[in-house]
Amino acid sequence: MLVSPTLVIMIGLLIIPLLLTMIISFGRRDPDGGVIYTFTLANYARLMGYSTNCDTGAATCFDPLYIQILWKSVTLAFQTTFFVIMLAYPLSYFIARSRPERRNMFLMMVLVPLWTNFVIRVYAWMMILRTQGVINGFVGWLAGLLGLPFTPIEMLYTPGAVLVGMVYEFLPFMILPIYTSLEKIDNSLYEAAADLGAHPIHTFLRVTLPLSMPGVVAGTILVFIPVMGTFIVSDLLGGQKVILVGNLIQRQFLDARDPTFGSAASLVLMVMTLIVTYFYTKKFGFGEEIVIG
Amino acid sequence: MKSKIWTIVSMLLLGAMVLSACGSAAPEASTDGEAFTTSTGFVCPEPKNKMEVTSKELNLFVWTEYIPVEWKECYEHVYGVTINHDEYSSNEEMYAKLSSGSSAYDLVQPTDYIVALMIRNNLLQKLDKSKLSIMGDLDPKYMNLPFDPGNEYTLPYEGGLDAIVYNSEKVSAPTSYADLWKPEYAGKIVLLDDSRVVIGMTLLTLGYDVNTTDEAQLEEAKAKLAELIPNVKLFDSNSPKTALIAGDVDLGVVWTGEAYTADQENAAFEFAYPSEGTIIWQDNYAIPVNAPHTDAVYAWINYTMQGDMFFLMLRDFPYLNPVTTAMEFAKANHPDIYEPFANSNITNPPAEAVTAAHQITDVGDATTLYDKIWTEVKGE
Repeated sequence: MLVSPTLVIMIGLLIIPLLLTMIISFGRRDPDGGVIYTFTLANYARLMGYSTNCDTGAATCFDPLYIQILWKSVTLAFQTTFFVIMLAYPLSYFIARSRPERRNMFLMMVLVPLWTNFVIRVYAWMMILRTQGVINGFVGWLAGLLGLPFTPIEMLYTPGAVLVGMVYEFLPFMILPIYTSLEKIDNSLYEAAADLGAHPIHTFLRVTLPLSMPGVVAGTILVFIPVMGTFIVSDLLGGQKVILVGNLIQRQFLDARDPTFGSAASLVLMVMTLIVTYFYTKKFGFGEEIVIG
Repeated sequence: MKSKIWTIVSMLLLGAMVLSACGSAAPEASTDGEAFTTSTGFVCPEPKNKMEVTSKELNLFVWTEYIPVEWKECYEHVYGVTINHDEYSSNEEMYAKLSSGSSAYDLVQPTDYIVALMIRNNLLQKLDKSKLSIMGDLDPKYMNLPFDPGNEYTLPYEGGLDAIVYNSEKVSAPTSYADLWKPEYAGKIVLLDDSRVVIGMTLLTLGYDVNTTDEAQLEEAKAKLAELIPNVKLFDSNSPKTALIAGDVDLGVVWTGEAYTADQENAAFEFAYPSEGTIIWQDNYAIPVNAPHTDAVYAWINYTMQGDMFFLMLRDFPYLNPVTTAMEFAKANHPDIYEPFANSNITNPPAEAVTAAHQITDVGDATTLYDKIWTEVKGE
């Protein structure tokens, strides 16, 4: 009987909504944006590139639009995860190796910004990246001092700005697991490595890095999956010109009033994420060592 | 050690949730004739038609920032009704909530094109005109429009135009939507993030109807619109004025109210009514079909739409104002609000711009086609 609360939650909050999404995705849109319940694969075909309005005048043709959007989202998720690891690892290393009484303070510094609403923090980035924003203002001032010519750099509303925003948003989710696994490493291991004559670089490559991998793995899962479905950053920092699969889905439920296509796109996104995560965890595990260890 | 990371993660998630608890005592209905002053210093006028209200609550579902704060305080004071206030930032959001069966709301503010859709899907109730004492104060120009003939379901709230605003110190003056394609505006334009408005304006430059469902015309518009994208720096329907004022862009197609605010910040902003005719819209008051507090909502409509209350809209949301008594009241009593409003060609457009304007209507199945064009043009 102990399992039943879990079962109720699983069925009520996971299985039933998923089934509903699936049923709707096989339906058809009515002219007012309602759902006609039927069985058609048209929404999936459309996602995969089957099109009936072609530039060439042919009856049907291949239209890569939605595949391109999916591909762009996956690429951005990989890029974000890569840069997040690159930034989070040194930071976590620094925190884990600092004096114990300072560690909590540093961790707080990572966590406290998260207490502010995320959208407000993105607006702060908008002010930083604007044509007449903080960075351009500062560089312009510097150039003025040195007597150099300066034209403001266009940063906001570009794909680069979206990447910056994504990396910023998910950085703490990588720092915390890496920190946890680094902090666990017994100091005597470093001493042993040094005693046996290992160069600090070798100690890092052969002791620290392998032992902290579970943190990187757990962090990657925490970062990659939400990045795939996010849409607020690309809306605000990309000037609505960068369409990711998250934006696509959101638009189907609102502006396009096509819940059937939106449901199909949600399921495809979910399956894709599952596949990537499956192969990833098959190779690296879930990073459970840091949970169980 | 076991659950350290998950403890941290869950703490972090908890921390991200901001809990706001607002405890407010039920307001007392006024009994004496003594005037009530709001927290902003506005003296509440007497309701011209004080109605019998037994409900204790009124649930508004309105656009973000679209109700003067004084209205709520005055109404709560006069009628002893607690106002619950929910907001939306797009018609689609409101429509999605109502059509999924939410029946808690007493008042919504749908825009023209979505009204017809809501009526067709039985989401609105017919207005009982015998309870509306302000009908005679409404300007017939804004009444009896195609989306609701005879105003059976809606009353006009405010309207506006989507015309071109530009910084006259930085760029030359555009005179038509077609001018936006000029290479000199490359990377300098902000457009509303609204597929119907942007595709509609492209259709106008090609000489087609803004509400066309003809696939060939729409394909042509798509190709034309793709050429405009390099000129567009961003799409924004939340606050397009911000990018204009901050200098990120120098011209844009935005709502009149946004353009007016930009102009107040920086007088270099000018407004141009495109030669193709602008796109015009109108927001309305409407009552959802299952509204639980109809007595309170009729009292709200009558009270807020009387001239000495509705003139506050000129101050806060300077769009086209359909309440004639509000205009007269502002002219006679608040020239500081009325004069800038009446003298600006942004808020008070020339009559020919209004008559030449095009209204967007729902296009049914073609909505998916518009959305696909939009996704395609922006996604490339």
